[in-house]
Amino acid sequence: MNAVTIILVEDDDGHARLVEKNLRRAGISNPITRCADGERAVQCLFGGACAGHLLVLLDLNLPDMSGIDILQRLKTDPKLGRTPVVVLTTTDDKIEVQRCYDLGCNVYITKPVDYEHFSNAIQQLGLFLAVVQIPETA
Amino acid sequence: MAELVKLAENNAKANDRDAPHQGARGGRLALPVLLAVGFLTLIGLSLASIWLHERAQQDAERTIAAHALEAKLVSLLLNLRRAESSQRGYLLSGDPQFLLTHRLAIDDVQPALAEIEAALANNPVQREAFASVKPQVIEKLDELRETTRRYDTGDTAGAIALFKTEAGRQYMENITAIVERMQEEGERQLALTSAQFQQATRIVLAAELSGAALIVAVALMSFLLSRRSMRALQTAHQELRDNNAALESTIAERTRYLLDANNEIQSFASIVSHDLRSPLVNIMGFTSELETFRKNMFERLAALRAQAPGPDADNDDAALGGEFDEAVEYIKGSIAKMDRLINAILVISREGRRNLRTEPVDMTALVRGVADGCMHRTLEIGAEITVEPLPDMTIDRLAIEQVFSNLLDNAVKFMRTDVPGRIYVKGRETPFSVVYEVRDNGRGIDPKDAERVFDLFRRSGMRDRQGEGIGLAHVRALVRRLGGSIRLASEPGQGCTFTVTLPKRWIDPGTDWNRQ
Repeated sequence: MNAVTIILVEDDDGHARLVEKNLRRAGISNPITRCADGERAVQCLFGGACAGHLLVLLDLNLPDMSGIDILQRLKTDPKLGRTPVVVLTTTDDKIEVQRCYDLGCNVYITKPVDYEHFSNAIQQLGLFLAVVQIPETA
Repeated sequence: MAELVKLAENNAKANDRDAPHQGARGGRLALPVLLAVGFLTLIGLSLASIWLHERAQQDAERTIAAHALEAKLVSLLLNLRRAESSQRGYLLSGDPQFLLTHRLAIDDVQPALAEIEAALANNPVQREAFASVKPQVIEKLDELRETTRRYDTGDTAGAIALFKTEAGRQYMENITAIVERMQEEGERQLALTSAQFQQATRIVLAAELSGAALIVAVALMSFLLSRRSMRALQTAHQELRDNNAALESTIAERTRYLLDANNEIQSFASIVSHDLRSPLVNIMGFTSELETFRKNMFERLAALRAQAPGPDADNDDAALGGEFDEAVEYIKGSIAKMDRLINAILVISREGRRNLRTEPVDMTALVRGVADGCMHRTLEIGAEITVEPLPDMTIDRLAIEQVFSNLLDNAVKFMRTDVPGRIYVKGRETPFSVVYEVRDNGRGIDPKDAERVFDLFRRSGMRDRQGEGIGLAHVRALVRRLGGSIRLASEPGQGCTFTVTLPKRWIDPGTDWNRQ
């Protein structure tokens, strides 16, 4: 369980901090590696910088590339294809949600302005992480 | 003819100068004139031919008559001479054969005189001449008979004496002279007739030749005029085609430009709302974190107070906490409101991007369904929605449902409290569009706000009802997307009428333009 490293791909420092805070509050003690833009995320994931079991928290709206591209590359990668991906974004556009699931994302969480919801979502994510060998469709 | 040529030339100039339709008008005028000229010429030529034919026939008859007269005159002279010479033979020889010949010749003279007189009925000159011949002939015949009678009665000497007188010879000479004059006159008349006929033939020939030339000229001019009209027409058609093509390409260009602009605005709205939300998540998140800190801080403060209580400290702390909470509440309220506004922008921009799917919609049932959806609120305030039978449409169901839902919501929301609320939905068809009306007797809208109420986040009248000023903006966006328009007629305190006009046949400019 502790072997799983959480890769947090999030350009917004505030969001990253809030996610981290809530994960810790939910009792998740896994190491968290933050990637502040798409380039760094690509280096980390595909450049071999991050090793071991991974779980990716992915923001779709990155300054240098679309999170969708990273998701697609990740899910078609022979080695990383089974890595669980949680998409965390501000958009709740149905088409985009559908697209993410089609590409193989395991969970799609919108960042609601309502903090209670946000907090709950992250805490539930903690529960989800506790059973990390999830079925692909989750 | 010269007039026509001038007319044609003028037409040609007009054609060269400008508008093709002017040339066409000239052609319309000149062609019938040319045709009329052609027909009149043909009729003239035919009449001339008929006249010439008649004339030829008359002249031929006259010529035949003249020749017949000539023959009769010659025959008359011959018979007289024969009578004279056979009598001489009789007087000399006494042979009755001579007497018989003599009698026969004399018998022939009398009817010949009558025949000649009849033939001269229409010829006054010859008739007058013949009138002087006839008595001489009769005298001559009398003289011949008298001579024969004397001889037959045995008075041979008397007969010879009479024969010897100059009278008989004189008669004969007179008759011969007159008949010769008549023959000359006949020939003169014949020559005259022939000359006249030849002249008439020449005139008719000349007329026919010039007529034929005229017809050829008319045909040539008609051909030229027709060709000119045809060219003008072709030029006009070509110009029309060019103009149409230019117009179409202009429209296509503008449409593309508008579509691009529209897409840009929509993606702008989408990006902005997305990017605005990001900081909002932080504000909300850290505000909540602040609340957690507050809880922790006040807990710690309470613990410290317990160790070192001060005068009225608890009340001070409570007031501090209250102010903190108030500030946080305002922040949260504003965040919630901002979130709703951003969501509204998102919804409207998404509506613009959604692919519309047209289907036949039973509008009466649809609007009644929407009205039933408002039932709990209408019952609460004692209002009533009347939906009259509406014309059906082929349209995007979701969009039109949203339009009526927002309009009815709006009407129910702004009812007056002093009268029972009444809302009517009516519809009618025009040749190219369908018009729906939602009329209420609510509080109405100030006419100066009639356009403003359709703007996003703009509201009119008292702010005593919940709302962000989104509903009507959404309605207008939808109606525009459906290719229609919406209008508001209202008086404050009298209620208002929203009129939605939708095209019967809708083309999604975003998807179908290039195929049109």
